[in-house]
Amino acid sequence: MKKITQIITVLSLLVSFTFVQGQTKQEPWSSSQLMPPKQLADRIQQAKTLMPLIVNIGPQAVIKGSVDIGPADEKANLKKLETLLSKEDKNREVVLYCGCCPFDRCPNIRPAFSQIKKMGFKNAKLLDIPKNIKTDWIDKDYPVQ
Amino acid sequence: MKQLPLIVFLTVLLYGIGGNLSAQQPLKIGSQAPEITLPSITGEQKSLSSMKGNLVLIDFWASWCAPCIQEQPELKRLYAKYHRPGSQSKNFEIFAVSLDSKRDAWQRAITKLGLPWTQVSDLKFWASPVAKTYQLEGIPFNAIIDEKGSIIALNLHGKELDQFLSDKVGK
Repeated sequence: MKKITQIITVLSLLVSFTFVQGQTKQEPWSSSQLMPPKQLADRIQQAKTLMPLIVNIGPQAVIKGSVDIGPADEKANLKKLETLLSKEDKNREVVLYCGCCPFDRCPNIRPAFSQIKKMGFKNAKLLDIPKNIKTDWIDKDYPVQ
Repeated sequence: MKQLPLIVFLTVLLYGIGGNLSAQQPLKIGSQAPEITLPSITGEQKSLSSMKGNLVLIDFWASWCAPCIQEQPELKRLYAKYHRPGSQSKNFEIFAVSLDSKRDAWQRAITKLGLPWTQVSDLKFWASPVAKTYQLEGIPFNAIIDEKGSIIALNLHGKELDQFLSDKVGK
């Protein structure tokens, strides 16, 4: 009887551990690397500070001054991102954005951010778009191209 | 000169009526589905109204929208189940409107997924006038319209959509 109790305890611990791991799935970015859209919009509008390199890794280069790479879930586009970044100083601020859909459903942000991290960029940011580029950028009349 | 206030009043009144008429009505069940006329993948203009007489699902999607792509196999299954042209019962059609901006990506997605129904797009992304007309805030989004072009359901997916079509078209 004692043995059964021990087995149940071990199994319960294993299940709990797996559950906790599942809950805290590690994203390639940290919360401090998320940039609020308003912050980027203000910087573009003021155009006084040194501008970051803004890169679209989603469906469309909507944001003013951004470079269009295309959806980063496609290998060819991920390669395009690598080529673009290889010409940049690793200390340059780079802002990646997608906006196809909410983060949990987006296939582009993870491969793109993992790539920029792998390349050693110290000032990489991801534009924090909770819903999509329409509601979180275009509808707010932020600068478009 | 005495008539000046009257003229001003009438001008303001007419302007007000005009403004109200042009204000966008919310998209709701029971209202007539706004017409959509856009180029197909071959460039030929296709109109939603040409599908009158059928039960039509207007599917707003795009090749860059992961949830939309995930939904396409289910739509294919429903299309195979309820699309019965020439039969005595109601026929189900899909009129797919893409918010793509890149023709290649749009074409590739249609081919890869093997989507047999009508596909249209102006390739204007969120700047497409259709996105405004149908008050889209995100995709996937859909509207189902009856044989006369009235909206009878909005944004049904999965089992709910299957059940709705089963009720309307029959098994």
